[in-house]
Amino acid sequence: MSTEPLLTVEGLKTHFHTEDGTVKAVDGVDFDVRRGETVAIVGESGSGKTVTSESVTKIIDIPPGEIVEGSVTFDGMELSSMSSQELQSIRGERISHIFQNPQNGLNPVYTVGRQIAEVLKIHKDGLSKRERRRKVVDLLDRTGIPEASARVDDYPHEFSGGMKQRVLIAMALARDPDLLIADEPTTALDVTIQAQILQLLEELQDDFDMSIIFVTHDLGVVSEIADRVVVMYSGKVMERGDIESVFQNPSHPYTQALIECLPGRGDSMRRIEGSLPDPTDPPEGCRFSPRCEYATDGCKAGDQPPMYPTDGDETHTASCVYYGPEHDAGVIEEIGVGDQQSTRADGGERQ
Amino acid sequence: MSETLLEVRNLKKHFPITQGLFNREVARVRAVDGISFTVERGETVGLVGESGCGKSTAAEAILRLEEPTDGSVLFDDQDITTYDDQELKGFRREAQMIFQNPDSSFDPRMTVGESIAEPLEIHGVGPRSRREEIARDLLDRVGLNADDADRYPHELSGGQKQRVALARALVVNPRMIVADEPVSALDVSVQADVISLLKDIQAEFDLSILFISHDMSVVREMCDRVAVMYLGEIVELADTETIFENPQHPYTKALLSAIPTLDPTRRGIDSGLTGEVPEPSNPPAGCNFYTRCPEVIQPDAIDVDQAAYRGVMDLRVTLKRQGIELDGLREFVGLDDDQTPSETDIADMCSELRREHDIPDRLDDREAESTLSEALDQIVREEITDGVEQLGELFESPCERTNPAPRPTSAGHAAACLHYDDEPVEADTGWVPEAAQGD
Amino acid sequence: MATDSFENIDWDDQEVSTINVSRTTFVELGLFALLLGAFLYDYLIIQNEGPLVANWDVLSTDWLFIATLITMFFHIVLPLYQNPRMRRFYWNRFKKNQIAVLAGVFLVFIFVVGVVGPIVMDPPEVRFTNRIVPPAGITATIGGATKTGTMAAPLGTDAKGRSILKLVVYGMRVSMQVGLIATTFTVVIGALVGAVAALATAIDVGWLDEVLMRYVDIQAVFPSFLLLLLLVYLFGAQLWIIIMVYSLLSWEGVARTVRGEALQRSSEAYVTAALASGANMMYVVRRHLIPNSANSIIISATVSIPGFILGEAGLAFLGFSDPTVFSWGRTISNGQTNLSQAWWISTIPGIFLFLTVLSFYYVGEALRDAMDPRQQVDSGGGGL
Repeated sequence: MSTEPLLTVEGLKTHFHTEDGTVKAVDGVDFDVRRGETVAIVGESGSGKTVTSESVTKIIDIPPGEIVEGSVTFDGMELSSMSSQELQSIRGERISHIFQNPQNGLNPVYTVGRQIAEVLKIHKDGLSKRERRRKVVDLLDRTGIPEASARVDDYPHEFSGGMKQRVLIAMALARDPDLLIADEPTTALDVTIQAQILQLLEELQDDFDMSIIFVTHDLGVVSEIADRVVVMYSGKVMERGDIESVFQNPSHPYTQALIECLPGRGDSMRRIEGSLPDPTDPPEGCRFSPRCEYATDGCKAGDQPPMYPTDGDETHTASCVYYGPEHDAGVIEEIGVGDQQSTRADGGERQ
Repeated sequence: MSETLLEVRNLKKHFPITQGLFNREVARVRAVDGISFTVERGETVGLVGESGCGKSTAAEAILRLEEPTDGSVLFDDQDITTYDDQELKGFRREAQMIFQNPDSSFDPRMTVGESIAEPLEIHGVGPRSRREEIARDLLDRVGLNADDADRYPHELSGGQKQRVALARALVVNPRMIVADEPVSALDVSVQADVISLLKDIQAEFDLSILFISHDMSVVREMCDRVAVMYLGEIVELADTETIFENPQHPYTKALLSAIPTLDPTRRGIDSGLTGEVPEPSNPPAGCNFYTRCPEVIQPDAIDVDQAAYRGVMDLRVTLKRQGIELDGLREFVGLDDDQTPSETDIADMCSELRREHDIPDRLDDREAESTLSEALDQIVREEITDGVEQLGELFESPCERTNPAPRPTSAGHAAACLHYDDEPVEADTGWVPEAAQGD
Repeated sequence: MATDSFENIDWDDQEVSTINVSRTTFVELGLFALLLGAFLYDYLIIQNEGPLVANWDVLSTDWLFIATLITMFFHIVLPLYQNPRMRRFYWNRFKKNQIAVLAGVFLVFIFVVGVVGPIVMDPPEVRFTNRIVPPAGITATIGGATKTGTMAAPLGTDAKGRSILKLVVYGMRVSMQVGLIATTFTVVIGALVGAVAALATAIDVGWLDEVLMRYVDIQAVFPSFLLLLLLVYLFGAQLWIIIMVYSLLSWEGVARTVRGEALQRSSEAYVTAALASGANMMYVVRRHLIPNSANSIIISATVSIPGFILGEAGLAFLGFSDPTVFSWGRTISNGQTNLSQAWWISTIPGIFLFLTVLSFYYVGEALRDAMDPRQQVDSGGGGL
């Protein structure tokens, strides 16, 4: 098994040219995804997390979008320079997507079985009609749809939201992709259904031996399923590292502020002052500096600070000058989630 | 003057489903099916549940934005369900509402200032300059700029719009605000902003808040007491901390287990719930939750592993609701349309049925196992009614027969579950038991 | 000066009223009252015998036209004037369509000439000495005689010696009157009915919606043309009868369209918010539904106007219109007999009719694009 990452994104910049100016949605993002692991990209709206995920397979609208800079390397292939025809053979086949709103992903006039079969056919599976049907039923079954053999001929409106998302997952996995890019797949679902879907994704990841990029704003979800996490703000990466490292020792002031914003943890809920920067005219220096309680004058000039390792761990890095050579990281208070009151009660006997 | 500002008694809101030329009622959507609770002065009560539980409809019915089908709503000891138009308009000054979607909360053709002043205009407060002044003052108080009054809604962010929504709700100086998922559409950092603002405003003006949400964390942050709803009914009601530390109702427990935690070393969210939420137009007989409840009570006659029993119940629910697609099963074991199944095929189909519903190969209890095998056999041989009957006779749960009313639990608060049938009666829980409801 | 705050409102002093009238509305209603008064005076007291004001015998159609102009002023001109932002925004988008701008200019020209022209010009007179003269500078042979046009009648004359130019100008007046009056009535009635029906469904008064819409269905299949013929037979063809038949029996399309859009708006939270603040149905219809359904209304209007103009021209062509009125249709019809030789009698009014109708279509399309919400830039979060 190769130790090379499956996907490497370097210096990615995706801009949108609009009437009101150029929106620098993604402005210099690096991360990688190894085989079999789940990487979460977490951020609020305007962070650029969705555009990042869509830039990997270039499913953004070009124009007005444009991948200005950067490389996206997948299994040795350079995706950013591929033609749309070449990319089409990768999408659905080796890299699949699932999205937030299950309502919109399915065509209401075709049966669910037919839509999944279409995916198989497009990629020339070489199966007979009967074999293909078996495969579709099998897929539905594996994504937890009860009585799959009956439901394969149902129409999308006969499924609930959670079930529709399972169908979409089945479609995404039809060709056994190496990488699944999931953009907020459970945000629109009830919390008990979300729990089911997250469990399902974990199981399927093992079954299909695939990597997952999970884009979300929900830190709790990240904590449940991710191996590594990338925290984004205003088009740039603020912090990156193993899940345990980042959550037990959040280093970047933004990550800390984000955790402290979470409600329901006792009296410790705080706010973040200020508001998102204008994406057409981002501030000088560190993107978070206008709102950071630790910001110095140096933070507000120049470029976004490079990713420095924090707490001695090379793999856990933060884009903050306090982890650089000139400042003392001790200034930034330590907070960790281990001692946070959790919302989930332990009163229920589960597992 | 009592401390109770709002008292909801056995509130029901049903939507009839009609058919035919004369709109004959063929079914009802029981969106809210008899809920009771109180809200004291200065208190925040949360109404929590997943989609379809009826919490938003309840909020609208309480404010008479939808006419309640039954029950009463007492505001300051007066039954507002009997108010005429004039009195109702007066009531509208006392209780206001904030909505979930900041984008559709405002008329896009009105400035923010005009939107805030609109309730004043409706109630005849004039002249226009006075309304403007009041609106600008309010903008200041909710943390925005008074000059924002001339801006249009599309120029503001989601968080800013929710602040304006709060200003509009406050302008008539209400005593209660019903907030319908006010922060659900906002980013985490903006959520924190709006939640802080709500708390500050509540303290400053001694407001009562009815807080509707599906997000348990937000509820934990905001509310003093919480009512958990499922399919139009309140299944549990208690102080916030009690609900989170010591939930009594199986649904509450499931809901809490499904919430992701921040600690990556303590992973594992599993609500333990199977199946789908039933349609509110066709709620189950007996307890609404028995079709998914992991703690569904077994009949005295049998004694099997609880998880296995749940599996059998799932099978029975499937049989009752949609029926079994035998064609699918046959295809699964490789049979063509007109082939007669062999004994092995039959056995395979039975195993598949078990597997689909997470029923183990053998149940512990011998009588249960033999009845189950027989029933499965009958079903697979297309004698479905016999199979269903067989299963029903032995496996029927008491939860299917009775819809539990809220009863006190040892934790001190009330929950609507048959598990607590024999508990002794306890102290006041802020939940009006049905016996105490007059008329 | 202490700022007035919401806590200072003494609610006990407030009357809980259910009617709200703004100053502009008050003025508008005042003008209508004045108009009604003048009409009653003219009709009952003077008995329509002589001129009412300075040589002007106000005819029935004129009353309707003045009412229409008042409505148009208060609901189109004034809002645009009071809202420069909105005006500039829509104008910027409208002017991208250059043909539409040209068409718009042409329509304004027609409107002005149609209103002002008959005031400054005398009506076309019959002069048998001057029959069938071609337009200025053009020579034609009719019935053996060769004539050349002069500037005395720049567009020539018809079979009865009337100046085509005057006929065209008076025809503009007629078309303007028919188009604008009928459309105004249609839009006002249709929008009101549509919005009320939509809101009725939204607030659970479904029966009202049913009743209104079933009436709309009936009106849609009602043979208004036959009714018109009947009325013409009974009372003789008068322009105001034609206009009234159009006005009162053609609004069902607008009602349906507006109802559709208002239904969508009714489910928006701001409608619920207004109801939660104590607004009654008519307030919501007036303040929220109709302004936000303005797109449908305007588009319906721009399609209706040419429809009515053509309708009346068609009636006049067939001979059912008011003989005292110089409709383009009538002029075109009269010129039929000499079409090959005296082509200008039918053709010139025909060209004007064609250009007018075409202009309305272009302007309507450009307005539709300018007001299309899908082309509006979305603001706020999500997606990035």
